[in-house]
Order: sequence, then C-alpha cells, then structure tokens
Amino acid sequence: MVQFHEHIITELLDDPQNGSGLVIVSSGLCLPKLISTLLLLHTPSQGTLLILSPHQPSFKSQLLHHFHPSPIPEISADLPSHHRHSLYTSSNVFFITPRILIVDLLTKKLPTSQIAGLIIPTVHSLTETSTEAFIVRIFRSLNKTAFVRAFSDKPHSMVSGFAKAERIMKCLYIRKMHLWPRFHVDVSQELERDAPEVVDIRVPMTKHMVGIQKAIIEVMDACLKEMRKTNKVDVEDLTLENGLFKSFDEIVRRQLDPIWHTLGKKTKQLVSDLKTLRKLLDYLVRYDAVTYLKYLDTLRVSESFRSVWIFAESSYKIFEYAKKRVYRFVTSDGVMLSDKGKSSKGKKRKLTGDDDKEQVGGTSSTSTSSGVVLDEVLEEAPKWKVLREVLEEIEEERKQAFPRGEHLVEEDDDDSGIVLVACKDERSCMQLEDFITNGPHKVMRDEWENYLLGKGELRDLHTRFKKKPKKPKGFGILDGVVHAPTPQNAEASSINKQENDALLAAAAEIRKRAKKDDAVGDDPQLPVSGRGRGKGTVVAIKPPQNAEASSGNKQEHDVLLASVSEIRKQAKKNEAVGDDPPLRGRGRGKGRGKVRNKKGPANVKSSGNNDDNNDKKEAILDKLVISDSENEGQADQLNQVVTADSSEATCQGHTVDQGVLRKHTGEADSTVSRNAKPLPPVHFYALESGQPILDILRPSTIIVYHPDMSFVREIEVHKAENPSMKLKVYFLFYEESSEVQKFEASIRRENAAFESLIRQKSLMMIPVDQDGNCLGLNSSLEPQTMSSQNSVTRKAGGRKEVEKEMQVIVDMREFMSSLPNVLHQKGMRIIPVTLEVGDYILSPLICVERKSIQDLFMSFTSGRLYHQVETMVRYYRIPVLLIEFSQDKSFSFQSASDIGDDVTPNSIISKLSLLALHFPRLRIIWSRSLHATAEIFATLKANQDEPDETKAMRVGVPSEDGIVEDDVRAENYNTSAVEFLRRLPGVTDSNYRAIMDGCKSLAELALMPVERLAELMGGQKAARTLRDFLDAKYPTLL
Amino acid sequence: NAVASSSSPAQRRNAIIVSHRQKGNPLLKHIRNVRWEFADIVCDYLLGQSSCALYLSLRYHLLHPDYLYYRIRELQKNFKLRVVLCHIDVEDVVKPLLEVTKTALLHECTLLCGWSLEECGRYLETIKVYENKPADIIQGQMDTDYLSRLNHALTTVRHVNKTDVVTLGTTFGSLSHIMDVSMEDLARCPGIGERKVKRLYDTFHEPFKRVV
Repeated sequence: MVQFHEHIITELLDDPQNGSGLVIVSSGLCLPKLISTLLLLHTPSQGTLLILSPHQPSFKSQLLHHFHPSPIPEISADLPSHHRHSLYTSSNVFFITPRILIVDLLTKKLPTSQIAGLIIPTVHSLTETSTEAFIVRIFRSLNKTAFVRAFSDKPHSMVSGFAKAERIMKCLYIRKMHLWPRFHVDVSQELERDAPEVVDIRVPMTKHMVGIQKAIIEVMDACLKEMRKTNKVDVEDLTLENGLFKSFDEIVRRQLDPIWHTLGKKTKQLVSDLKTLRKLLDYLVRYDAVTYLKYLDTLRVSESFRSVWIFAESSYKIFEYAKKRVYRFVTSDGVMLSDKGKSSKGKKRKLTGDDDKEQVGGTSSTSTSSGVVLDEVLEEAPKWKVLREVLEEIEEERKQAFPRGEHLVEEDDDDSGIVLVACKDERSCMQLEDFITNGPHKVMRDEWENYLLGKGELRDLHTRFKKKPKKPKGFGILDGVVHAPTPQNAEASSINKQENDALLAAAAEIRKRAKKDDAVGDDPQLPVSGRGRGKGTVVAIKPPQNAEASSGNKQEHDVLLASVSEIRKQAKKNEAVGDDPPLRGRGRGKGRGKVRNKKGPANVKSSGNNDDNNDKKEAILDKLVISDSENEGQADQLNQVVTADSSEATCQGHTVDQGVLRKHTGEADSTVSRNAKPLPPVHFYALESGQPILDILRPSTIIVYHPDMSFVREIEVHKAENPSMKLKVYFLFYEESSEVQKFEASIRRENAAFESLIRQKSLMMIPVDQDGNCLGLNSSLEPQTMSSQNSVTRKAGGRKEVEKEMQVIVDMREFMSSLPNVLHQKGMRIIPVTLEVGDYILSPLICVERKSIQDLFMSFTSGRLYHQVETMVRYYRIPVLLIEFSQDKSFSFQSASDIGDDVTPNSIISKLSLLALHFPRLRIIWSRSLHATAEIFATLKANQDEPDETKAMRVGVPSEDGIVEDDVRAENYNTSAVEFLRRLPGVTDSNYRAIMDGCKSLAELALMPVERLAELMGGQKAARTLRDFLDAKYPTLL
Repeated sequence: NAVASSSSPAQRRNAIIVSHRQKGNPLLKHIRNVRWEFADIVCDYLLGQSSCALYLSLRYHLLHPDYLYYRIRELQKNFKLRVVLCHIDVEDVVKPLLEVTKTALLHECTLLCGWSLEECGRYLETIKVYENKPADIIQGQMDTDYLSRLNHALTTVRHVNKTDVVTLGTTFGSLSHIMDVSMEDLARCPGIGERKVKRLYDTFHEPFKRVV
C-alpha cells in the first residue's frame, strides 16, 4: 500500500461527518486499490456496507482483484426478497445494483439502521436526477448517521457543466471534498522518490506520415474555422488541442444538442467531420500503412458526398500519402509513374527477400493491358523496428546480467521476467504479436493481401450503391484477367482506372495463389468449404471465399505454430527420410551464419520466415516432395529447429531469440528451450481492457507502445509500492506527432480540472444543516410529520385520511430511468411494484407508458409499443403514451428539412399517425424534460383518485378462472379468442369483425369451408390463406 | 394541387376537407400528397369518416388560452379520432404545452406535435393516406413460417408455451383439429393441465361475442 493512499483514507475517516466525503484523485492513481483498502477496514460490528455497482465492469473486477479475503457478492434483482433481507442484515460488504437498492428503500425492505454506509465508486457519472441521488436522499432521511463516500478518478468530467462537483455534493448530502491530484505534494514526493528508470524513445515518423498528419491538421483547422463562423458554439472551446480529444465531441454536442434541429446540414456535417478527422489522426499512429489506407478507402465509400472535409484541398494529400505508403505504379518497362523510384525499388527487393511466398505473389507486379505495374512499398510502422531493437537490447542486458549470479536470475524469473508491452487496443496487441513472431514483412503482406481482397468487395459494394446494374457480372475478373473496363464511377475520378485495374489484378493474383496454396496443403483441419470453390467468375462472389481461404491458411499456420513439438517431430522425420548430407550441411551453415549476426534484423526475419515456411513445409514433407526452389529455405528452417533441439552452444543466441518469439504466445516454452536458459517472454496488454496487469505480471521491464497518462501513473504507483524492485520503462513516442501532443495535453487538461476544482472548493456553498434540508423534501417517507404540518391547513383539520399526498405506482423496471427520482422530488409518493400493464399508474383511470425517444423508435420497430398500447387500451379508461424528450437534446424528431416529400412508412410521423388511427382512445403526452413530465403528472392527478396498488398489480394478470379483471372488453367479448383469431394468417383488421359476425366461435371456424370463408372475409385469397393454415399438416419432428 | 371548387362526393372522400376557418393558414401549402378542399365543417380538418383534427399554434394558444377548449367542445362526440395538431412555434414550451396537453387529454383528444408547418402538414396527409391501412408496420416483423405463426397464435392463450404448441401440433396434426377437439382429448396431452385445458377449450368454443 502506498503512503498517500493511507493519507487519503485517514483524511476521509477523520471527517467529523462520520467519514462521509467526496474523493477525487488523478486518473491512474489506482482508485480501485484505494477503495478496496477502505473495504478491508470494514468490520462487521459497523453494520452492512453497500457498494453501488459501478457502470464499468472493469472497475468492479479491479476492485475485486484487490479485495483479497473473499469475493464480494452482488445483490441484484435476481435474488428473492427474503434472501436480500438476510444479506442486508449480515453486516458484510456487498455490491448492489442501484435499481434494486432504491426499490428496497422505497418499500422499506431495507433495514437502514443496520447499514454502515454507502460507497459510490464512480461518482462522475452522476447527476442530480440519477438513481444514486435518489438513493442517498431516501437513505439519508431514514438514517442520518451512516456515511456516504463517493469517489472519482476522472477529474475532468467532474468539472464539465456548471458547478458539477458542488451539485453532486449537494445531492449526496456530502459536505467535504478531498482532492488528490498527481501534483499533490504527498503524491508527487512518494511517486518520485523511487521513480522507475525511464527511457524515452522518440521515433521519427516517416515522410509520408508527417505529410498526412500535417494535412489532417490543416483540414481540421479549416473545419474549426468554419465552425466558428456558425456562431453556435463557444469559440473558446474550438481549439485544435481540444479537437484531439473525444471529449471535444461532448463539448460540441452539449452546446449544439438542444438546438440540433435548428442547425443547418453544414454545421451538422462539420461536427461529424471533426470526429472523423480526429479518428484519422489517432489511427495514423496506431494502424499500419495498409490498414490505414483501407480505412481511408472505406471512408471514401461510406462518407456521404455531403461531407466537407473530403473535398478540402489538403484531404487530397491525406489520400495520396496514405497510398504512397503502400504502393506505387510503374509502367511495365520499369519507369516510375510517380516520382523517384530507384531507391524504393531497391527497398522492394530487400522486402521480397528470401521469403518463398514472394516467388508467387511477392513481385506481384501484375501487368494489365495498359502496361501499368503495381509496385509494393508496404511501409512498416517505424515503431516496429524500434520495438524490436528495444526487445533485443533488453535481452542483451539480461544476458549480461546472467553470469553475474544465478541467484539473481532465479529471482528475476520468479516475478519480473516478463516484458510487458502496453498498447492502446486489442488489435494493436495482436498485430504486434504477429509482427514479433513473423517479422514485419509477413504482417504487412497479410494486411496487403487482405486489402487487395477487400478491394474487390469494396468496389463491388460501390457499384451496387451506385445502382449500375449494366454489367454486374460482365465485368468480372476471370482469374486475373481484367475484362471489360470498369464503369466510370466516383472511384475512377480519384484513383485512375489503370491503377484500379492493376490493384484488382493483383488481388486476383493473390486469390489464385491462395487457391494454389490451398491445393498443396491438404491439411484435414482446413475447412471443407475453402476447398470446394470452383473457378468463380464473378468478383462479387469470389472475395469472401478467398478471405475464407486465407483465414484458413492462417488457421493452419497457427495450428502449426502452436504445436512446436509436432514440427520438431516432423523435422526429425524429415531428417530421417531425406537423408541428404549436403542439404543438411548447407542448412546448418546457414543457420550458424544467422546466429552470428544475431543483432541484425535479418535474424528476426529469418525466424519469421520459419513459421511462415512451416505450413508449406509440412504440406510438402507429407508428400516427400522437396522442390528445388524451396530447398534452401527448408533446409534452413529444418536446421534451426534441429539445432535448437540439440542446443548447440553456438546456436544459443538463436534459440534465445526463438524463445522470445514463441513464449509470448503463451505456450509452454519448455518445448523450445528445454535445455536453454530462462528467456524473457513478452506479454502484450491492451490498455482498453483495464485489468490490473501490473499486479498480475509484476514485470521488470515495460514498453509503453502507446503512451497513456493513467497507465504511466499506474506504473509509478506500482513502483512506489515495490521500491526494491527494479523497473525500467521504455516510452515509444512518435516525434512531433499528435500522439505526443495528446499525451501532454491530457496532463495539462487534468491539471486544469484540478485547479478548477480547487477554486470551486474554496467558493463552495454547502449548507451545514443538510439533514434538515432533506427532511423537508422527504415528505413521502415521513407521513407523520407531514400530516401534522399540513393538518392545520387542510379543511378537515387533523383527520387521519386527509394526509393524502399524491401517489404514483411505478413499475420496478422503471427505476433505470430518472423519472421516479424527479417525481419524488416533486413530493409524490413512489410505490414500486411489478406491473403487467403500463409503467406509471397515476389514478385508477390513467395508465402511462413512458418512452424515451430512442425507446420509441425501437419499440415501434419491434412492435412492442403496439402491444403495450393494446393492453393499456384494454384495461384503462385513459391510456397514455408519454414521449419523453431529453432536456439537453433538441425538442423535436427532425428538422423541417429532414421531412421528405412523400408519406413513407418508415417515418416516425407515419408510425405515430398509424398508432393514433388504430388506438383513437390513446392519449399522447409530449414532454420536454423529466421535470416537465413531473409537472404534467401532477396536473393530471389533480382531480383524480389515488391509484390502488393491489389493483394495479392485478391488472392484466388473469385470476384463477381466467377472467381478467377490469377488462373493458371482457364482458362483451371472448378476448383471447378474438386475439387468437386476429393472429391467424389472412385475417386482417378489416375482416376480423365480419368473421366474428359470421361464425360463432373458433371451433366453428375450424370447420368452415373455404367458400363460406371467402364470403365472410371478402376475398378468395385471404380465405385460401386461412384455410390452408388451419389445415396444414403439423410437421413431424421425427 | 388544391382543388377549391366543388367536386363529386367520390372525389371528396379521397380529399381532406378543410374548414373555411383555415383559409390563409400557411400549413395548407404543405399538404401536397393529398387533395384538399374547403367546406363548412365544425373541425378544422376532416381526415376521414370518423377522424378529424384541430390545428393549434402554441403562439396563438398563449394569446387565447381558452380557444382550444371551446373548439373541442364544439366537436361533440361525432368523431372516433380527434386530433389536436399542435404546432410548436415558441421557444419556451413547457407551460403552454402543459396546458394544451391537459386540455387535450381530459377532453378525449389525441395530441400530435409538429415543429414545422411541413411536419404538421405531413401528419394530416399521413392520417388521411393511412385511413384504412392495417397496423402491420408497427406490429413488428413476425416470422412468416408455419411454426412461428402457429406459435404466435396459440400462445395468445395464457400460459400456453412453445412446448405445448409442439405437443398440440404433434398430437392433433393440424390447427383445425386442435381447435375442434374435446376437453378430454386436450387433457390427454402431456404437460397440459386442467387449467390450460379449460383456457384452450374456452378460447375455441366460447362464442366470440358474449352478449346474447
């Protein structure tokens, strides 16, 4: 445990208000750890401790990870109420979902006197209307001594909006705010005392990357300028720095949402363009060149032609550079179409290297009729190389450390042998892992092949979008031969046709090869479908098949990689069978050569090729066919494995290397290096996954591949907790990139947030007597006080039944929303029950189904709304649909310009009209906000009786004899029969009444001949449909 | 476009009848998908045999808070669907909208809100165009294969579940048989207890209309 955590806890516990308080710490200062420490201090004598379940599951799992004694159970609606009660009184620690907690508080099933306190772990997601606030209000009114502790590690979201921190404190009845920024003297002293060794590596971006970044920033700037012109958003917020963060969207949306429907198309487009651009900037440093290009291509297809940025001058450069990072074009006689090529030509050769795959597709300079040749550039991410070098360096150092003392080595092996590489997302993790295993070329090649394969699909999609059915099949690629010229589409304007053809031809080449590969490797694990493909002629069909094939190959490849031992076995077999001494000799020689220049990239490359070759090899070994061209590669490969096996001293370096490569995938390294010394495994960790990785792995070396502020702090805390441990951290930054800018800005932003909070804290007006405050509000829970206060003013003065405050019966499921809270604030008594029909019962006559806008659209589509209204109409005199808009969103469905020229069935207008037509008794309430809803409810209840709880619960639930109470139609109709009838095919709204008139019951209907049905239903077709359905033979299941 | 002259009754049936009161309402410009014509009627817009609409601009309501009430009272009980079409043309909506909501709700009118004249016009058009349209598009997609439809129908009977549907189907072969079997036969099915038997039997044999 770190010192400042202790400080935080003591400060919190010392608070005169029995330890209630709001604690805000810098992100990355291990809030889950802090909370779990606090939980450990809890003793049963204090009573039960309830933690409101946080919204993010990762937070909860981290909390659980740190809280050792036993897992904390969660109380949710799934537990029966008596079970819940016994838990409440058990004096333990529990998670509890806010929904069930509020229900149990309202129904007084929770013995509040036995609760030690509440913990709210992620308070930044709170507002005055959220359930948590409701919980605390009720809880406080019943128990004034228990503590309420709220925590947050997102200071910047505590300052969004006006005086957010203060408002949150008020609604939680917390008086004291504790701020623990990273720059707090206790924190910084402790963290910097034994700071980990840091190596900051600035990796220069390639020329093209710099170009792209510059272009994106130019376009962003232009968009922001445009935005300023609209005068709709606070100009101060419109800075480029803000534009780098996700929260920028929030800032803009918060200001624009309420007036969204009044905005022009252009402003809306600008908002979405800025978002797209921010993503592009982010992906530039995260994705490899090919994936990036692919993303851009997708954007080009999906972005509407309305988008502003795509036509900005600089955007052209984005696309151009992105393309140049991947490929260029040469005329078939070797003259570059674009600028200087010789150097890159050389590079290309180097790339193609000794990978035998290249022989088929590597040079894939595919000539088309026009004589344009595709030349691959496949620029790899600069960080890759650096990462590899760093790993090698680490390995070097480790080896140097080994001879110094075996003891130390063992210690290392125990807890800190692993090199942790932290990336932003899972995708990067997998790619880096792939890169480390297979070398950069394989990775880039895979991506490139994928890209080319996808290209065909994309173009197909494109043409489909364009609705050009002229020759959907005519222009296809018959195994690489480009037939008809591509139709002139939008694509052709940006990529010229020749290029496009060349790309497609290259794609075809790959397909062909994939097919060939497939044919060679008759591995049983290959999916059958992959092989069953004929010579598909239509592009539209081919790509998916081939994608499958290549994934099939990949699978095959993975399987092989996984079973290292199997490979070795086969290698041995091969040795035994193909006893060709010269071959072996040559192989070994080569292997040694590689060992010698271990540091060079060639080494990794060759071992990358290993695995690459493996699948080929296996296939071929099985057949005992060793072709000349592959001879060398195989011998080489074979030899490496063999040498690893026999652990020759000279090859140690090599095996070590292989260890790195294999071990990280999580396989038993023993197979590779049974006799070798312990090796440094690599673990890739996605920051997004939010696991307490440092505590689990306890790495001694960390490479931060994508810098992230909170992770840096986590490392610091981890080090401070383990001062004796050696910890070395490498940061990989792209020099002068948005990445650096963003990282620095995130620190600045957090500091600014804390400064603002400190200022707020000094000015804050928190009433000392908050308890009194909440008493007044909680009329509903204090009936006695309420009645005594009011009895004087009431006409009948002091009569018991007079204290009839307003009551609203609320369905349990509605406690996800904030409306019950707001209704309660308005002084209504909330009665939670499970309702079969409706969400809110205002009076014996009025039943309300609440729909937020999103809900409304969804439940129209699913048909749920229709049925809900149907039942409401059946059981209540005044069935009401409440359409609830959000306060901070626009109050309308659509702007005038979005309403098309025709009546279309998908429009919300059509759906609502249809609903009104079918249920003329349905009333509709349009509410601007939660508070408006509460007011409307109060007005509507004014002259109505109070609803009856038990009756409301019974509505829609049939009693024993199947008769539903209060069913308006039930007296006159056999409702279930009518319902049944209406669900039969052929029966429609217009003919079901006629059927009911013409025949007495369903049993009679069952026997009615089709002619008679046709008479009743007014048509042969409908009658036929119905009759067929009735008589259809039930399919036998056997 | 707008046909202001008198026309045959058949034509009138396909048109929205607009009250003379609405003359000069810019909303009329936006009724383009349906023909409309003026006539002397009580409501503002006659949208079908039994549906009508009153138009109310919130701004007007602020000036004449009682207007809506008197108009609704005039309508009497002649219509099944009585729409109050409210044009939201003020910034501060909460209070006036509350009043309109209350009046409409307590006097049996369906309130529809539009934020532009286009939207209001579209509501009128849609209600007219959809006058006889079934509710399919808001009833949700249903699978159209035999088993799903059979499930859909039989599970209207309370407590009958999908397993029961299978039991019934395999035992009796077709829906018409299921609908016509005796109580004893139903009772012989595994999993179908006394209560379910009664419910099923009642559904099938009790007349649709109870009133004699």
